[in-house]
Amino acid sequence: MGKGKLKHSVPDPTGEELETFQTFGVRPGSSHMETDDEHEKESIVLIHHKIGNVVLQEEMKMELECELSERVVNLEALRRITGSGHLDGVFRPQVWKLLLGYLPAERDAWEGELAANRSRYAELKKELLVNPSESCWKEDDISSSEQQVGLLCRHEISNGDHPLNNGKASIWCRYFEDAEIVKQIDRDLQRTHPDIKFFTRDSALGKSNQEAMKDILFLFAKLNPAIGYVQGMNEVLAPLYFVCRTDLNVQNASNVEADCFACFVRLMCDSVNHFCEQLDNSAMGIHGTLHHLSELLRANDQELWQHLMILCKVNPQFYAFRWITLLLTQEFNFHSVIRLWDSLLSNPLGVQEMLLRVCCAMLVLVRDELLAGDFTSNLKLLQHYPQVDPECLLNLAHRITPITASQLKN
Amino acid sequence: MDSASSQPDFDYLFKLLLIGDSGVGKSSLLLRFTSDSFDDLSPTIGVDFKVKMVTIGGKKLKLAIWDTAGQERFRTLTSSYYRGAQGIIMVYDVTRRDTFTNLSDVWAKEIDLYSTNQDCIKMLVGNKVDKESERVVTKKEGIDFARQYGCLFLECSAKTRVNVEQCFEELVLKILDTPSLLAEGSAGVKKNIFKQKPPAPDASTSSCC
Repeated sequence: MGKGKLKHSVPDPTGEELETFQTFGVRPGSSHMETDDEHEKESIVLIHHKIGNVVLQEEMKMELECELSERVVNLEALRRITGSGHLDGVFRPQVWKLLLGYLPAERDAWEGELAANRSRYAELKKELLVNPSESCWKEDDISSSEQQVGLLCRHEISNGDHPLNNGKASIWCRYFEDAEIVKQIDRDLQRTHPDIKFFTRDSALGKSNQEAMKDILFLFAKLNPAIGYVQGMNEVLAPLYFVCRTDLNVQNASNVEADCFACFVRLMCDSVNHFCEQLDNSAMGIHGTLHHLSELLRANDQELWQHLMILCKVNPQFYAFRWITLLLTQEFNFHSVIRLWDSLLSNPLGVQEMLLRVCCAMLVLVRDELLAGDFTSNLKLLQHYPQVDPECLLNLAHRITPITASQLKN
Repeated sequence: MDSASSQPDFDYLFKLLLIGDSGVGKSSLLLRFTSDSFDDLSPTIGVDFKVKMVTIGGKKLKLAIWDTAGQERFRTLTSSYYRGAQGIIMVYDVTRRDTFTNLSDVWAKEIDLYSTNQDCIKMLVGNKVDKESERVVTKKEGIDFARQYGCLFLECSAKTRVNVEQCFEELVLKILDTPSLLAEGSAGVKKNIFKQKPPAPDASTSSCC
């Protein structure tokens, strides 16, 4: 694995002691082991790490509880605790909302903020989820009240918003286009974590979850017509929705759709460019980010970069496109994804910065296999990434040296 | 799991490509073919890649199969995967008419634009014949389309495995019958197959966008 390859020059941005997670490098008492027995070594260290963690976990839980009850929540402390993997699931909905900026740091403002957002969402829904026959009725009412007796003038005759008018401006035309988007979203939601009951239509809860997620994705598409709905947004929404819906606070759980929509919009702010086809070939688009990843790897592990990019020709587009656009949601099991997102969301430099570190760490973590592999085996490995321990991965990600803007340009 | 990492002995390596609208069952078809299973799959984002070793027509073959995302947004990204493919499978869903009409509106055009191989074998596949009661595209329509565009044609079901193996077999047999494709895929040039220098293509095929 990637030990020793990375310099320790980068401090953990969360301020957490890295020693606790030092699963790489030389450890006392490990010298007698066979060097090829890496996995065993690692699992032993992990066990130690977990035992030590039970105490730490309790301490962190108390600290977090304390922080969350302060009049003004200390976001820095929140980031530190969450990023280090000590976020108790009970607090996650609240913490994620704070980290995404949906909840303000001032506790007193929460109630008003939530109420305002929820009513805004309700209005948005009323406005955008229109049934054309209703709006035609309304217009008819207005015009008939204004009408004077007698024949209509030419300009008063509307183009006719009826279902057979396929002019671009027709409400009905838009309605049919919208119906296509909804169908696509629906198809994808049926394929979103079909192995997890929470997301399937087998139960009333699952059904209502799918309905809410459908409305969230549709409204997002309507509000961002340049991007619309892109496959994969369903995957990005899923962990967020899950966390918001499993809030123990009944009122929050029942307002999940409005809250989750706001969180989704905030999360997408940072990564929406990757879904935008028009930006594909710009530095802001997905290719720019893939290039960034490649340079990050080159700066951190020249040998691996050389092997992957030059020798094997495994272009990051073949594997990291999905890693990046879907924020790792398809690479790991749901549990691990939630843990990884704790760290993505709590990164003070933003989700994308941490995401690229994790992606780079994913490559370095399996460097021995990659260096021994060819195009086929490497692509298979990276497209079906092994279920590694998220803590190992994040530990390594924190040690990735960032690159400067000038390095990126070359 | 077949390990393709160590030097495998094969006579030919062929690159195949799966295209078609979102949700027609491209990934399911591939999963059925490579591991004989059927599962609920997430939509493909970007591209998926699988390898299968087969013996067809007495030859040992390594098939590198690229499974592309169907949604329109991904088309500019998937265009590069057409390069150097010896076989392209166009998939539609026999229960959804739009996936069939998009073959001529979209997918055949994509092939013309991006495929660098003039002799590349095309195969039309109508999937989901297990849903016979929901069928809206007749077999005859499929045959007519295939005739017009010079493709092979089969109807299949990834769910029930009907005809899945045959889809790939027919395609590969036809590739084996085509000397120019055979030359590209022969084991002697296998090392370069992914670098794939397009053999001096004319201007129309080399430039995209």
